[in-house]
Amino acid sequence: MTQPVTTPHPDRLAAIAAGTIVPAVIHPEVGAEDPVLEVADFSLWYGAKRVLHDVSLAVPRGRVTALIGPSGCGKSTLLRGVNRMNDLIDGVRTTGDMRLAGDSIYGRGVDVIELRRRMGMVFQKSNPFPMSIRDNVTYALQINGERNRGVLDAVCRRALEGAALWDEVADRLGDSALGLSGGQQQRLCIARAIAAEPEVLLMDEPCSALDPIATSRVEELILAMRGEYTVLIVTHNMQQASRVSDFTAFMYLGQVVEYGPTARLFTNPRLRETEDYITGRFG
Amino acid sequence: MSRPSRPANALLARNEPMVWLTGAGLVVGLLMVVALVGFVFWQGFATFWPGPVVSVRTTDGVVSMGEVTRSERFRPEPSVTAALAPEVVAAMQAGDGMVGRRLVRIGNFELTGEHFRWVEDFRLEPGSESLPEWAYVFERTAWGRFYGVPEAYLDGESVLSEDPAAVRAMLARAPAGAAAPAVRVRTADGVLKDLPTATIVRCYPANHLSTTGRIGVYASRWREFLSAEPREANSEGGVFPAIFGTVVMTLAMTILVVPFGVMAALYLREYAKQGWLTSIVRISINNLAGVPSIVFGVFGLGFFSYVVGGRIDALFFADALPNPTFGTGGLLWASLTLALLTLPVVIVATEEALAAVPTSMREGSFACGATQWQTIRRVVLPRALPGIMTGAILAMARGAGEVAPLMLVGAVKLAPELPVDLNFPFVHAQRSFMHLGFHIYDLGFQSQNSEAAKPMVFTTTMLLMSIVLLLNATAIWLRTRMGRSGSGSKF
Repeated sequence: MTQPVTTPHPDRLAAIAAGTIVPAVIHPEVGAEDPVLEVADFSLWYGAKRVLHDVSLAVPRGRVTALIGPSGCGKSTLLRGVNRMNDLIDGVRTTGDMRLAGDSIYGRGVDVIELRRRMGMVFQKSNPFPMSIRDNVTYALQINGERNRGVLDAVCRRALEGAALWDEVADRLGDSALGLSGGQQQRLCIARAIAAEPEVLLMDEPCSALDPIATSRVEELILAMRGEYTVLIVTHNMQQASRVSDFTAFMYLGQVVEYGPTARLFTNPRLRETEDYITGRFG
Repeated sequence: MSRPSRPANALLARNEPMVWLTGAGLVVGLLMVVALVGFVFWQGFATFWPGPVVSVRTTDGVVSMGEVTRSERFRPEPSVTAALAPEVVAAMQAGDGMVGRRLVRIGNFELTGEHFRWVEDFRLEPGSESLPEWAYVFERTAWGRFYGVPEAYLDGESVLSEDPAAVRAMLARAPAGAAAPAVRVRTADGVLKDLPTATIVRCYPANHLSTTGRIGVYASRWREFLSAEPREANSEGGVFPAIFGTVVMTLAMTILVVPFGVMAALYLREYAKQGWLTSIVRISINNLAGVPSIVFGVFGLGFFSYVVGGRIDALFFADALPNPTFGTGGLLWASLTLALLTLPVVIVATEEALAAVPTSMREGSFACGATQWQTIRRVVLPRALPGIMTGAILAMARGAGEVAPLMLVGAVKLAPELPVDLNFPFVHAQRSFMHLGFHIYDLGFQSQNSEAAKPMVFTTTMLLMSIVLLLNATAIWLRTRMGRSGSGSKF
């Protein structure tokens, strides 16, 4: 992990824009962590358009890792690549691999359904299912064949408490989830994602459709999950990344530019390009 | 106005004309619906109201007594006017050459040979028109109505009573103990006729009825119409078998078409890879909706009845041959034919409902580790259910109103037995059945006594509309109930 550091690439962003693979600047603190999810030389094409260029990234266990970067940099695509949601889109092709706790994600004969059960995902727009709050939270367990009412109720309570929603909905678990407010719906989706004890929680701009109060509640939630869950979060909001994450990766046009502890990246980045983006000089 | 004015475009630019135009379109549409429903209901409700019995004598000495069903003005033929007295013709010419005439339902068919008679105003003997106080209307099981004044009550050959008041009291309630009771009635022509009370369905003194009495007769006729079997070649009596047949056939059709339509739409939208092949399939399905319904009837007769039914007969009902069991029209084949006819409606509506389910919901389910079928079963279908129900409702409405294909595959003028009854195996899918739509056609075009059947056409039409409305209302109620538990979308 000895990268040539601090040397400012004369025109790093231009080189990336030209399609050159530029090695990412990775801070040594990342290497000291225990990675649960490893992305290894992962590339992805939508039809003929290449969206990810040999991305390599190690997501540390029990930490919150944020992916930032300008629109179209491939951060959402990378996130959706982790639980293979891109499989649902026609014309997607990938090379390279990812590993979840050592198990290949893109290898031959991988059971995608089984793989997705080991992860949770929260989407940009809340997407509660047309069913009761209880059934929403325990959905992952129910489709896995869990029928025991006691187990389901216990999981439901634990997940809702984990998502700081229990006190608000405890007396109406049987009501339709579509009757909740926008912020509550998003926290319900978080409860649904953590109900099955995922090894990695993927969050795709979870606060972009929420008002400031609901946003701060979700951020508190993410902070509270630190240590217990591994979170990989995509965000457009730099303040949010600095508030909630332990590590941050800055991506640009399908490549990771710099990856390191959030505090370092935001206060003292190695690259001028990262500093320019964080201070809002471009992007 | 400081705005630069462009007179030619100013009105258009302000969008007002389009508001009026589109509003007018809506108004015209609404007016047509209101006019249609209003006309049918007005005509339909009036049918059973008991009118007065009028007696008139014409100059040729013929007395006509009965209910006036229609009056109009017409221009008599020159050959008719030539034979008239000059002062009559002069009076006629003083107007515009038109004279009035009334259609009187004189009944008494076995005596007069006609049910209705036109009475022209110029033929009337002055002062001969009257409302005979105790003229009765008798509705009978055969020969149509009878008009006359009851004079005596008989038991076999012996006269029980000749006192008019006592006879009327006996008519109001058939006397117990009479072996073969009959009533002797004097017609307007003075002919005496004995009517066995067993053949009398209903009788009332038309000119002596209070409003309550009229309402009573009206209600009693409606009760008979809704609950009894038809008589007199369908022009009198009830339509219960037709109501029953319509409802059973429509429900059977819905039960057949919805699962098939939903499955087809699910494959087309959720599983099939979208491309030119699915486009062709979609176009074909949409075109199927435009095929004239009689074509489906021909297909139903040729394929279901003759091929499938014939094979079933040969295999399972060989001892009944050459009489067909399934090899002819029947409830099952009619339901299947209409299911085929309404299949495109269900497929298109279901596909639209499925397409309206947000992708984010499917992704949410997949992200939880659900298989495609689990996603469809637990997330997509519940969310699309109101739309699917809408499709089923549209199919039901279309199927309940269809007549042409039914004529080929099982609807009959008079079915001896109901298709569902208490005899094993309870549902007799091979039986032919009566249908309100076909009943309307039969009344309107096939009836021997068309004048008497005409008001029944409107009443039956009204009934068919009400039943379709009722079926739809039930389905909509069901849809709202289902919608409440899950999906929030209601439309």
